[in-house]
Amino acid sequence: MDEFELLRYVTVGQYIPTGSLIHRLDPRFKLAAFAVLVGAVTFTGSYLGNAVLLVLIVGLVFLSRVPLRYVLSGLRPALPVLLLLAALQILLYTPDFTRGTNCTTLFQFWIIHSTTCGVKLAIVSAARFVELLMLTSLLTLTTTTTELTHGIERLFAPLQQRFNFPAHELALIVTITLRFVPTFAEELERIVKAQVSRGADLGQRGRLRFIQQTRALLPMLVPLFLGALRRAEELILAMEARCYMGGKGRTRLIELHSTRQDVVALFVAVLAAATVLLVPWPW
Amino acid sequence: MASPAEPIVRLEGVRHVYGPHGGKGVEALRGVSLAFYAGEHVAIIGPNGSGKSTLAKHLNALLLPTEGDVWVKGWNTRDPRHWRDVRSTVGMVFQNPDAQLVATVVEEDVAFGPENLGVPRDELRARVDWALDVVDMQAYRFRPPHLLSGGQKQRVAIAGVIAMRPQVLVLDEATAMLDPLGRRDVLRTVEHLNREAGMTIVAITHFMEEAALADRVVVMHAGQVVLDGPPREVFRQRERLQAWGLDVPHVTELAARLHALDPAFPPDVLSIEELVETACQVWAGQEKAL
Repeated sequence: MDEFELLRYVTVGQYIPTGSLIHRLDPRFKLAAFAVLVGAVTFTGSYLGNAVLLVLIVGLVFLSRVPLRYVLSGLRPALPVLLLLAALQILLYTPDFTRGTNCTTLFQFWIIHSTTCGVKLAIVSAARFVELLMLTSLLTLTTTTTELTHGIERLFAPLQQRFNFPAHELALIVTITLRFVPTFAEELERIVKAQVSRGADLGQRGRLRFIQQTRALLPMLVPLFLGALRRAEELILAMEARCYMGGKGRTRLIELHSTRQDVVALFVAVLAAATVLLVPWPW
Repeated sequence: MASPAEPIVRLEGVRHVYGPHGGKGVEALRGVSLAFYAGEHVAIIGPNGSGKSTLAKHLNALLLPTEGDVWVKGWNTRDPRHWRDVRSTVGMVFQNPDAQLVATVVEEDVAFGPENLGVPRDELRARVDWALDVVDMQAYRFRPPHLLSGGQKQRVAIAGVIAMRPQVLVLDEATAMLDPLGRRDVLRTVEHLNREAGMTIVAITHFMEEAALADRVVVMHAGQVVLDGPPREVFRQRERLQAWGLDVPHVTELAARLHALDPAFPPDVLSIEELVETACQVWAGQEKAL
């Protein structure tokens, strides 16, 4: 009955507590530093720049004392796509993506046109992908979901005051989503078991059976959605009964403390990003 | 605190019609007048569709009467300016433990109500600690709610409500979805709140054993209050209750049947302890009881 134990596969917030410096950072600063580094990864097109970023990120992983294989565990399911992407880039990419450098044709046959630029693009995008994945894993592995939502809310709070940006609502949506994902997984499990026990066919497994499989899922999804809507209504009542009237005038139980460490961490991230982006890497 | 003579919550001729106004809606309440006093433990019973839950939702302005008025400590629930006061005075726990917890961590869920009231942080912390203590869930304060049992979730829900320091706690079939152990723990918590903290309890329930624990039982039928009195008096009217599709507690049922066999045995017994005691007294010295 393993196939019905859906709850086991729900892994929102795989927090690994090691109590490291990275764990202890104020979530606001951690999120900001994360955004800066993601920006650096996105806009770095050189080998050396990416190498520097990769070294930096691996350094951060060691600092967090989270085993490297956890950080890389998300890579395996993405590997086929990554390889396919690289193959296509190498075989088909022609225009100069690094402007100014000359592309030398390596190989040409029919529509296949392989250039040095394509090879470079393939390598750089693979590196970027790995870097982004490691960064995101590192963030979620070292930050609890509540810290994340509080971080988002506080980080965007000034925007709420100035431009009416719904920071509080956004954080509440994230919190409620995280709160109910396991509940819905449990409910789906119950529905699937109920349907199967009455002879429902979950659809044959196998390639090229998407339509049958999707259709077999329908009798599970409809009750799940109806249940979710009903639950949402009950939740609204319960929230109103507890005096919820929007974010105005609310106080917070959780206090976020920022220390000099947080400021230094953000500064280091900005410095690293600026270095990687501004240095004219030779290749 | 209201003076003993002054009710905390007062309903005056409340009618409630679901659906289109004027058109043929469903009339859930047909003229209910009731008063709840400080420190009371009231159970509201009635068959499905008798208007119990609709009544409950009127007590804290979740529903407004189509006709008539509801007064909470002198505030009319029709006035939106007083909803915050009304809802922090009359707290409410619902049936489904999964649909009323908001946060991903127990203590933050307990803090949700007082946070909405704008309670300053130091006091907030103290209130959360106190509330978790009362429901005996201190050990679980950092757990995510989905890893708790039904009874534990419901106790967290109670903690979340009492952290707002309400004077009245309304339980809308709060034990209906729980297993016997979870129900026992929740009832114990409610008893404690009533006895020790003097909180007014209004419990809507399907379980007659639960109603027998209250000081006062209100029976609803077809949108009206048909009986209102101490449990002993209410459950003495076995035939009338059964005509409305309601049972009496099993113990009372047993006592009534014993009464039919032996008129010396009183028909209005409310607990197993009482039954045993009465049996000992009535049949003391008798060799052949029946």
